[in-house]
Amino acid sequence: MTAELTPSMEATTPRAAARAATLRRARPNGWWGMALLIATEATLFGVLIASFFYLRFKNPHWPPAGTPKPKLLVPLVLAGVLVSTSVPMQIAASAARRGRLGLTRLALGASLFVGAGYLAMQIDRYAVSLRTLKPQESAYASIVYVLSGGHHAHVAVALLLNAFLLMRLSRGMTNYRLIAVQSVALYWHFVNVLALVVTATLLSAAA
Amino acid sequence: MAIDLPIPALRRVRRLDAIWAETPGIVGFFTTVNHKRIGRRYFVTAFAFFVAGGVEALLMRTQLASAENHVLGPKAFDQAFTMHGVTMIFLFVTPMLSGAFGNYLVPLQIGSRDMAFPRMNALSYWTYLASGLFIYSGFFLGDGPSAGWFNYVPLSAKTYSPDLGIDFYNLGLIFLAVSSTVGATNFIVTIFKLRAPGMSLNRMPLFCWAILATSFSLVFALPALTAANVMLELDRKLGFQFFERSRGGDSLLWQHLFWIFGHPDVYIIFIPAIGIVSSIIPTFARRPMVAHNWLAISTVLTAFIGFGVWVHHMFATGLPQITMVFYAAASLVIVVPSGIQVFGWCATLVKGRPELKTPLLFTLGFIVTFVVGGLSGVMFAAIPFDQQVTDTYFVVAHFHYVLFGGAVFPIFAGIHYWYPKVTGRMYGERLGQASFWLFFAGFNLTFFPMHVMGLLGMPRRVYTYPAGMGWDAYNLIATIGAFLLAGSILLVVANLFGSAFVGRVAGPDPWGGETLEWATTSPPPEFNFPVVPTVRSVSPVWDRPDREEDEHRLQRGELVLDAGHETPATTVLDGELDEVLEMPGESWSPLLLALSLSLVFTMLLTSHYIVAAIAVGLGGLALASWHLKEPQDA
Repeated sequence: MTAELTPSMEATTPRAAARAATLRRARPNGWWGMALLIATEATLFGVLIASFFYLRFKNPHWPPAGTPKPKLLVPLVLAGVLVSTSVPMQIAASAARRGRLGLTRLALGASLFVGAGYLAMQIDRYAVSLRTLKPQESAYASIVYVLSGGHHAHVAVALLLNAFLLMRLSRGMTNYRLIAVQSVALYWHFVNVLALVVTATLLSAAA
Repeated sequence: MAIDLPIPALRRVRRLDAIWAETPGIVGFFTTVNHKRIGRRYFVTAFAFFVAGGVEALLMRTQLASAENHVLGPKAFDQAFTMHGVTMIFLFVTPMLSGAFGNYLVPLQIGSRDMAFPRMNALSYWTYLASGLFIYSGFFLGDGPSAGWFNYVPLSAKTYSPDLGIDFYNLGLIFLAVSSTVGATNFIVTIFKLRAPGMSLNRMPLFCWAILATSFSLVFALPALTAANVMLELDRKLGFQFFERSRGGDSLLWQHLFWIFGHPDVYIIFIPAIGIVSSIIPTFARRPMVAHNWLAISTVLTAFIGFGVWVHHMFATGLPQITMVFYAAASLVIVVPSGIQVFGWCATLVKGRPELKTPLLFTLGFIVTFVVGGLSGVMFAAIPFDQQVTDTYFVVAHFHYVLFGGAVFPIFAGIHYWYPKVTGRMYGERLGQASFWLFFAGFNLTFFPMHVMGLLGMPRRVYTYPAGMGWDAYNLIATIGAFLLAGSILLVVANLFGSAFVGRVAGPDPWGGETLEWATTSPPPEFNFPVVPTVRSVSPVWDRPDREEDEHRLQRGELVLDAGHETPATTVLDGELDEVLEMPGESWSPLLLALSLSLVFTMLLTSHYIVAAIAVGLGGLALASWHLKEPQDA
């Protein structure tokens, strides 16, 4: 009875890995691990966002007098671009599950490319805004830089995961890597949702 | 393993022995991922921190034994009570309960051969050890944290605490959060995925329910502490303004964030302890737990409601009335699930035939002290009373009844209960019982007078007090009690240490326990069970036919899983066999990652940010090396 339960060990081709994924009834351990990491990270950002509004309601002016209100257009466009990368990421996950290694790599590469462009622009904007608004100026500036910096760090981690995965997939597909594709896709979606929430929070100061 | 097995069975066991054997010597020491070895390590380390925290307590009690004493100066006293709190809460209780008991017992109780992520388990231990040493290094350098275990701003701001003590606290706790998060994730996935075939969630031992609830609490509570520590450290190191009033910051923000973590943490400490109690009571009452499912549900409910009561630590900070009333109500509601548990334990004992062995004595001691602590706890939900006794010794008395009574009594019960399983030998029963009575007397002598001291107005955290306030006698009694308590702990240590050499051989199941750890040898083999056990009730060891069937399976070679480091994975709710997993073996990566993180935090502490960034890169390399080795390469 155990023989038919162990295809995952020998699953070292795209098709065998896909078959193992289809036979498995529960989510794999790696997926659960990632889901819990996301849960704790989402809580971390929940706490930071709660702190943002807590400080806002403790301050008569938000942003404080003399600090410019955030501009709306560019951050919204950028967030939209980042969120669109969830499409290729989902394509990568489902292609891996169907045993199509080539498509998986192509879709991962596409989201990596767009994501890297996004991060480069954001780092530039971060550096530029540091010239006019210092985080040491006010509680407003402090929480804005921590929230946006934290978000950018998460994008960077997602990009690194994606790049590492592409490197591993260049040597073929295994059961282990297939679970990694699914988990990284999950993380990637989380980072994109985070982008929307963080952007909305920061832009709420414009109102 | 037993040598009187029939030949085919013996051959299979030998094969498993060879597959699961670890590299001997120093290399194996650093690379092990075995959950029992890591659990034992957690035990030794957490116990060492317990001793350190205890010595700090004795120093404080000696200083306070009489009025205007000169054992510790104000600075040393401040560091002593801060380190005492930090040590006991962060470095002793949680690592002892989840790290030591959880690691050793959860895989055994659910019939698995390892944790879901064995290398993460090693990482969790190494980061715990490193962060503990990190926090203590400040104390030993004379620069320990000194703003209390909850480290309130503005006292902990740069202006009022300019030395590095608070930085050790902030960075050390962020570091420790890595360990706790990794550990909690591992427990949740292990419990969800690696249960023995047939162990649906409603057949799971209550100790595993407790670890599951605690782990979820950790996942959702720790980020608040981490966020608070990051903000305060940014304020201190880089001049951010989160807590600075004049720049729009707010010092109460720290209190909110800290207690959003801090109150769930009370349950994080307490819930695994009641898991131990729920393991011991059915064994010694010789019947299954009354209302097993209700107890499981109330464990989860306690953890959940624990997130809604944090403001009761802040009733004296001038919050709006309506806010306080809400939290006062929530603080009353949480009595309900705790009450269900107490009634469940008592009913089980009444309906069974209890045997008063040492583990049960410590358990009964727990019930008594916990009810006393619970009653003084309910009083705080009455806001006027709370405001009267805030920051007095009444609070100190209350939380020691809840934390010492609620966690340390069960820990000592658990130590005696599972000692034969871990060492293979029995502890000395008469010495065990004697040490319990000394322990119980010492505890009450130390902490009961503190209720009175508090009502008489003695504030917490004072390093000395004038004579003639009516506090002297109570303080002296408390100090005598503290030394009695320390003496009883020495007795326990002597008993356990000596019995490891001269104790009677215990055999697999000295107590007639119901859960699966008693179905294997003492100590268990590296692979825990030669045959993956199957389960059909909450008391699998009491289902004799199932365990006899295990032996037949071993003969026939069914469910032996001896093709590699194998353990079965089952479905999340029903525990149906789903997959056979190949578990990772020994690895250097966890230790290397923990060392990189130590370097990161040390460099942040000393403000070498470039080196810290490089160390982050080293950590990334360690992680990459971790994932380069896949199961099929083994």
